[in-house]
Amino acid sequence: MPHDLELIGVGKTYDNGAPAVIDFNLNVEKGEFIAFLGPSGCGKSTTLRMIAGFEDITIGDIFIKGKRINDLPPERRPTSMIFQSYALFPHMSVRRNVGYGLDVKGMAKRERDAKVERILDTLGLTDIADQRPDRLSGGQRQRIALARGLVVEPDILLLDEPLGALDANLRKAIQAELKLLQINLGITFIFVTHAQSEALTMSDRIVVMSNGRIEQISTPRDLYTRPKSRFVAQFIGRNTILPGTLTAANDGFGEVQTTHGRFRGVPEGKIAPGAAAALVVPAEAFTMLPIGGGASAGVGNTLDARIESRDVVGPIIRFQLLVEGGQSVALEGHMEHYANGFPAGSPVRVSWDAAKATIIPVAA
Amino acid sequence: MHAPVLKPILAVYTALFLLFLYGPLLVLAILSFQSGPEGGPQFPIVEWSTYWYRDLFGLNPPSRIAPLPISDGLVRSLALALMTTVVSTVLGVMSAQAFRQKFTGSGFVFYLIVLGMMVPGVLVGLGTALLANSFGIDRHWWGTAFVLHVVYTFPFAFLVMLAIFNRFDPTIEEAAWSLGVPPGRTFRKVTFPLIFPGVLSAMLFCFTLSYDEFARTLFASGRDLTLPLAIYGTFAVEIHPNIFAFGVLTTLFSLALLGIYAILMSLSVRRAQRVLVQEEA
Repeated sequence: MPHDLELIGVGKTYDNGAPAVIDFNLNVEKGEFIAFLGPSGCGKSTTLRMIAGFEDITIGDIFIKGKRINDLPPERRPTSMIFQSYALFPHMSVRRNVGYGLDVKGMAKRERDAKVERILDTLGLTDIADQRPDRLSGGQRQRIALARGLVVEPDILLLDEPLGALDANLRKAIQAELKLLQINLGITFIFVTHAQSEALTMSDRIVVMSNGRIEQISTPRDLYTRPKSRFVAQFIGRNTILPGTLTAANDGFGEVQTTHGRFRGVPEGKIAPGAAAALVVPAEAFTMLPIGGGASAGVGNTLDARIESRDVVGPIIRFQLLVEGGQSVALEGHMEHYANGFPAGSPVRVSWDAAKATIIPVAA
Repeated sequence: MHAPVLKPILAVYTALFLLFLYGPLLVLAILSFQSGPEGGPQFPIVEWSTYWYRDLFGLNPPSRIAPLPISDGLVRSLALALMTTVVSTVLGVMSAQAFRQKFTGSGFVFYLIVLGMMVPGVLVGLGTALLANSFGIDRHWWGTAFVLHVVYTFPFAFLVMLAIFNRFDPTIEEAAWSLGVPPGRTFRKVTFPLIFPGVLSAMLFCFTLSYDEFARTLFASGRDLTLPLAIYGTFAVEIHPNIFAFGVLTTLFSLALLGIYAILMSLSVRRAQRVLVQEEA
């Protein structure tokens, strides 16, 4: 069984010689929800547009269900694209918009109408089917665009920042709806976004990109708990990064010598002992105790710091700590642990479980 | 300065502005109702009459005043303007479409096109006449003059369409392709309906520019005169108010064109709405 989508060594260089995408490799299975995540200009949209056929591929190959599609024009690829601007046809009613892709296929009118009505119904658009899109709300237009893209039954649905133009509440609602729709239809989704919350909530796997390159391909959980590079550690979640040198590695654990001491963590990828490395600790992996309160077992994974600031975000409190020497530590925990006794300015000792810390290689 | 002071000053200024703009036209219109055949093209109005309008249509008893030799010119000018409109608008849409993507030498080609409306008409007309003569090509309003009219009006259509495409959201076309609609059909069914108001504007530009073009036509049109040339020809003899009457009628004609333009514009908006009504039925 060939992969639903396969990109092999795909690269794109603009006419002026600037590289947009470099050596992109990815296999996607049928029914997967994949997110391309990265800051603007990282090449995620360009990659999506190469899959759709809107951008030429400079090097490499793209296969859909085992068929090479490099040279197929967009209208002959089994993909359909959802745009951030929705790109609805303003001169057509909602129903015409949705049905337009089927008109071209020369489908019998009855079959076409049935399909259109079914998808309108699925997405709750039946009531507004005769209106023109420019009079409708952002959320409605978003659903029209989805209906229009899905009714042609593409092998792969490509979504280019489809929630970017919606307000925060609506975005959350549509996220859930979109995920449910994808599971029910079993269609492969490739979803481009710069918002990590969107990627982390909806996707099966996330492709993190930076400067045209893939930084990491992981499940949302692994991406969050086991970053593989400094970029990912900084881009995803709230991590504290302690740079140093890898001193030893055995039985799945490694040790990093930093200016603040020697700490244990789980190495990601191959790092030779003696090489530059950094320990990455997620903000919620820390526990914090006031200094002078005794306790604190000597696992070695402890740091003394001072509370710089605290922010209450719902039931969570976010702390910013400062270690002597300038190293900052981001920590967050539940209200019930930290509500009292941790005022800004007070000295604290933080500790963490070595299994929750990751050791990543650092370019020298 | 406070608004209460500024307001009357601005009002007077606006009134003067309008007077200078439309005064000559107004004078023409008033003088066209001069009595005939004795009344001349000046004030005072001897007696109000529609004599000169009747004169245009040959409804007056014979007099010493020769009829205006313009009816053939009118037909030629209308035909020429129509031909020019069609060709220039098609060229304008096509070339503006080409300019949506950068191509090698696009800057050069842009100025080459725009040159057509920049160069002095007299010189181009003269040049064309000389060139035609030396190559032994007969000059005709439907030949050499037609070519010059297209060269002159095409840049206007091109610039109008360039502005239209500039505001056009290309993802709408990409959406169509991605749904499986081939590029040709996408252009006809998606792009064209959306740029149609712009196409109408381009056509209007081309028509009016060609209809009263003088300098280029003067040298390039050969023996048969277009309307502006025919009118100019009558000045050589003696000016009668019948020329003013004709001016009023052509102005009304232009206004009618604008009216048709407005109607077509609102229709193109309403047609889209009617599609909805039909689907609701």
